[in-house]
Amino acid sequence: MARKDDILKSFLTNELLESKYELKKEELPSTIREALNSDKPIIKAIALIVEGLDGTSPVTDSVLRNLVTQFLNEVL
Amino acid sequence: MIIRKIQIDNYLCYYDTNPFELSEGLNIILGENGEGKTKFFEAVDWLFNGENRELDMLISAKKLNETEIGDSFRVRVSMTVEQYGSKSIITRSFLAKKEKANECSTSSFMIEGISENSLGERTQVDGQSLLDRIFPFQIRKYSMFKGEADLNIFESEGALVNLINLFSEAKHYDKYSEKGAFLREKAEKAVEDSSKLDKKNEVLYKKLEGEMLFFDRERAKYLVHLYSTEEEIRKIEGHLQLAESHVSNADALETLNKRIKEIEEKISYLTSRIDENYTTSLFDENWILVAFESFHKEFANKISAHSKTRRELQSDFDKQKGIKEGEKKAMAELLNNAVPLPIGVPSKSHMEEMLNDEICKVCNREAEKGSEPYEFMMKRLKTYLESQVIEANEPSRDEPLFKFNYTNRLDNLSMSHEDNLKNLRLIRSNIKELFEFNDDLKKDIEELNEQLEKEKTDRDRVLGNSSVAEEKLIDVLKNYNAWQKDLKNRNQEKVDCITKLKNIDSDLKAKKEEKDKIDTNSANSFLIKTRNILRDIETIFIETKEKKFDEFIEKLQTKSNNFFKTINIDAFTGKIVITRRNKVNRKIVEVELQEDGRTFYKPNQSLLTSMHISTLFAISELASEIKEENFPMIFDAPTSSFGENKTAQFLNVIFETKNQKILLIKDFLQTDKATKTLSIKKEFENVRRNKAFWVKLERPFDANNLKTINSQVITL
Repeated sequence: MARKDDILKSFLTNELLESKYELKKEELPSTIREALNSDKPIIKAIALIVEGLDGTSPVTDSVLRNLVTQFLNEVL
Repeated sequence: MIIRKIQIDNYLCYYDTNPFELSEGLNIILGENGEGKTKFFEAVDWLFNGENRELDMLISAKKLNETEIGDSFRVRVSMTVEQYGSKSIITRSFLAKKEKANECSTSSFMIEGISENSLGERTQVDGQSLLDRIFPFQIRKYSMFKGEADLNIFESEGALVNLINLFSEAKHYDKYSEKGAFLREKAEKAVEDSSKLDKKNEVLYKKLEGEMLFFDRERAKYLVHLYSTEEEIRKIEGHLQLAESHVSNADALETLNKRIKEIEEKISYLTSRIDENYTTSLFDENWILVAFESFHKEFANKISAHSKTRRELQSDFDKQKGIKEGEKKAMAELLNNAVPLPIGVPSKSHMEEMLNDEICKVCNREAEKGSEPYEFMMKRLKTYLESQVIEANEPSRDEPLFKFNYTNRLDNLSMSHEDNLKNLRLIRSNIKELFEFNDDLKKDIEELNEQLEKEKTDRDRVLGNSSVAEEKLIDVLKNYNAWQKDLKNRNQEKVDCITKLKNIDSDLKAKKEEKDKIDTNSANSFLIKTRNILRDIETIFIETKEKKFDEFIEKLQTKSNNFFKTINIDAFTGKIVITRRNKVNRKIVEVELQEDGRTFYKPNQSLLTSMHISTLFAISELASEIKEENFPMIFDAPTSSFGENKTAQFLNVIFETKNQKILLIKDFLQTDKATKTLSIKKEFENVRRNKAFWVKLERPFDANNLKTINSQVITL
């Protein structure tokens, strides 16, 4: 498993996702690829950040910001 | 990685060629002080980190002495390493040329690397790159330790960061908390900008931001105060423990201190229960009304009398009203129930004219003065004239006597007071009870204070029995009590500071909620939702980073304690606790010894050394797990404070650890008093090891003449 997938998994085990977003553990993706296709905005947003920082081609701060905020502003 | 061989040529006391064929596991190098142990360590250190400075100071004096003027020789330290089945040789060396007697010139050093594959084929490579590849610099930092002081790796500022970067995945999470904060801040800004489009919000925002800034500054101020207070408390606790260590009867002192603490806590508890806030009781608990009953009685009597008067007046009024009604009725009967003409008909002037003429011009009859028609007309005129006069005090026919019923309200008030009298009568006993309660508490406190004084006198007596010199003891005693007092004050300061911080946090939270409320009412909803999600993401990032960090610390602590227990088998040790501590402007990690949560500020050197060595072995084990490789550890005199028995025990323990160890120690050697011959003690036979060497100066030698110095390497 790639490091980015491990990092993603560490974030997704945070209990806030279950307590506030009512996401069940069994529903959580285990890879970045799955998470990027998730219909849960918070999961996809986290995946975008992990891919942006630990993916094959890391992005700059402003690109990361555009990626994440544009996505969230559109889906919310 | 295994160091198979270290060879030292013409380096200081190591004249000519001196190979150390090392083994996996534990290698012990014995040596008396000044016979070559430390020079071995320094030679290896020079191989790893040597610089081009004062190279002439590294030359073997004996070799230089034996060299002809104009001739050269090489000063060299090399290491043969085995890693993943292949061999590497790294050599750092320089050329020394004898120019005159006792004088030489040196070349710059060179570092050579030779890589040998499993087939035995050798390749020349860059020595520095080879060294850094097989034995990375960061790992080397945790591999070589000179003396006991060197073992406390947490002493240096960046130690933890370095450890985390090497062995913990926590390092990957740093950037996430940074980027999380960055994204959240941008989202907050977008919401603010959207809210500020409404000019009214701009003013509110400015006000709130000002208030929040104030609270933020207050918070920072109190945090600094809290951290410095905590630091101060630790210092004082350290001083107290040190002072206690001067006292012969430490157990008695500990018991006394415990009792004193308990009594002080009791006093503090009882003092907090004393309720002498009489002003509040006076007004909030209505104590002010304690003598109200007599006033109430006077008041009630007055109200009762007043009520009676009112009723009498009302009754009279009603009677008068009834009489007037009766008169009207009687008049109506006199006129045979005919409807009388309105008053003023005939008019006043006509009536006066008719009276003057003594003739009723209505019925055209004479009406002499005194006659019945004359009197009738006169009465009609009088009635008219009376009707024109308004009597100020006479109520109109339909108006009540009393427009407002204040009396009824007073009656109700009086009744309500009557009902409350029952409660008011209890005030006197309540006051009595509270005063008695407070008095009892004060008595208890007084007794406790007496007890406290007694315990303190006992403590002073115990302190007085100390083995420390009298004048020093006076200082200790004086300081001890001052420190105790200071500690109490600082602890109170800490509590106050925490309370203040809680209040500030709550104020800050309220302001943030107020700001969020403005946003919710004004900003675009999608911006708010984005901001909220990014707030949560930042929280997740920070918490994950902290979790990873804590996991690493926990792992390091567990491993350290496993080693610690084994090294100090059957002896009291306590527990190694690795704590993150807030300093005024940074966070640090400290390793300390605790027992039941009590820190040992000044453990003895032996305990301290075994604690540090345990931590180092734990780090080494972590390195093995993470890098999937074992790295050697080289210690020069790590156990000077142990004593021979404990050293033997220690060596037997570390024999079991996986990685390669090279230990330079001065134990297990003895000098025959008569012959002055140096030999190895029998006890060394019981020490488990994989290989042992003895470095000793070739005899005879002149301690004042370096040209006679040559360390021999004897493989045992």
